[in-house]
Amino acid sequence: MAAQNHSHELKLSPFEAPQRLKIASMAFMFIGFITFVLGFVKNPERLWTSYLTSYIFFVCLAVGAMFFIAFNYAAKAGWSVSIRRFAEAMTSFMPTMLIASFVLILGFKYLYSWADPAQAHALTGGKTLYLAQWFVVLRFVIFCLGCLWFRHLIVGNSLKQDKSGDHELTHKNLRNSIGFIAFFAIFFTMYSIDLLMSLLPTWYSTIFGLYVFSGAIQATMAVLAIMIVWLKNSSWIQGYVTEEHQHDVGKFLKGFTIFWAYIAFSQFMLIWYANIPEETEFYIMRSLNGWTTVSFALLIFRFIVPFLTLLPRAAKRNDSVLVGVSVLVLVMQYVDLYWLVYPNFYDGVPQFSFWEIGIFIGFAGLFLMGMIKFFTKNNMVAIKDPRMHEALKHHVTY
Amino acid sequence: MGNKKSLGGIAGIFLEESQVLQAARKVRESGFIHFDAITPYPVHGMEEACGIKRSGLPYVTFIAGVVGMLAGLGLTYYTSVSDWPLNIGGKPLFSLPAFIPIIFELTILFAALCSVAALFVVCKMPKVDPPTIDKDLTSHKFAIFIPENDVGFSQDRVERLLKDLGANEVKKVAEY
Repeated sequence: MAAQNHSHELKLSPFEAPQRLKIASMAFMFIGFITFVLGFVKNPERLWTSYLTSYIFFVCLAVGAMFFIAFNYAAKAGWSVSIRRFAEAMTSFMPTMLIASFVLILGFKYLYSWADPAQAHALTGGKTLYLAQWFVVLRFVIFCLGCLWFRHLIVGNSLKQDKSGDHELTHKNLRNSIGFIAFFAIFFTMYSIDLLMSLLPTWYSTIFGLYVFSGAIQATMAVLAIMIVWLKNSSWIQGYVTEEHQHDVGKFLKGFTIFWAYIAFSQFMLIWYANIPEETEFYIMRSLNGWTTVSFALLIFRFIVPFLTLLPRAAKRNDSVLVGVSVLVLVMQYVDLYWLVYPNFYDGVPQFSFWEIGIFIGFAGLFLMGMIKFFTKNNMVAIKDPRMHEALKHHVTY
Repeated sequence: MGNKKSLGGIAGIFLEESQVLQAARKVRESGFIHFDAITPYPVHGMEEACGIKRSGLPYVTFIAGVVGMLAGLGLTYYTSVSDWPLNIGGKPLFSLPAFIPIIFELTILFAALCSVAALFVVCKMPKVDPPTIDKDLTSHKFAIFIPENDVGFSQDRVERLLKDLGANEVKKVAEY
């Protein structure tokens, strides 16, 4: 019962990664590396589509976690303080993301028709300038460096506060967070347009950035939910993270499930209704042959099933139900990105084999390793945050 | 806790939030069922302390939402397919994507209005000029009210219990 939660004894001991987790993440990175080298030599087209999908999947989690931290600071939220470190751990992928982004530039000529001078003249008007390679790379680099810089500011201040307990750092982070949200809104939109929408450079959708964003935040909440379930009663932390935090992250997960469906439908309905050739090509590609199944799977497993499952209060407070839904959402986030990338290259026949699995596993290994290192080096809870008492007393009423 | 009708009883007035929270728990543990806690603002943990069960309102909302969804489907189907079929842009008469906004809005409308209506019914609102125990209960004091028809009610016992729990004042209430 919640009322008794308040009197839980607080315990915080340094994180020691289970040996199996360490070995798994090493093995994952190794498998990913082998797949990458193999693909680079043998099957570059397939490698780069797979690389792009998995790369964006993990970038979405890292920047999504950054956004979670930022909006909680901006809203001066107290309840989320004790789980903020979990989100901060997810942002530890960002330095890797910078390197992975530079690697992706190598693959531009396999992925984007605008990167090939022979095809670039097919673009018209303003798009010629917007999709000039130097301009795309410039925006891309600004996004990656900007995220890294804001992470350095916000997460850096949060970690400093663990030692000094200085309240001023929270006020500083409020300003940094507002800055990040503005930066994120503009540059993530362009990032998703540049990397995903421009795979089909003749296609237009003004809501596209928001579509990728909504899926990213939904997936971020799923990862947070899994971490909370795993860590709330672990041997490292006790009492700081409770069922109440799990419930609220579950609510966010459900909320962003609805938000994703809302945005996805808004994009679809307007294009379907207006029926203009340069807009409908996107959906025509995805409604032919094998892609129909994937499109409907998105509707059912990314919206209907998680939404109905998370509707009852008890579902969000039940560990196995919440983890089950979270895993489903993460799988569907991959399918969603896959659905955005692959139909541009493989007409009518979804391709999925070890090229996709290997690269995904490799990135998962990098992501896990980043989190393990972060938790080993830092406290698992922001112990000296001035709003900690609110998080400890957090209680969700009926 | 919904009282059937106005009843007399005994109220203990407390000055601290923590006191009233503990008092509510103790009163429940002493076997009282129909008592009520009156606070100027929502007190965290009060539902558990008073043993209040979760409200049935979410079920009303859900069922009303489903009814609203079906109503929206019926409305769009009736108007666009059976009553007045019009060919719009060569699309089929029954074009679900175009109907979804209407179905969605009606789902929300039904769910929201029925929830409010159900809330009014369950809380017996509006109450015109309800009896008050103490006017300070809307600003800075807290009360536990035990009605005289509660299980094991006796004036001495209740007065002693509330005093022991730290009530600043214990008073007889003619009707609440």
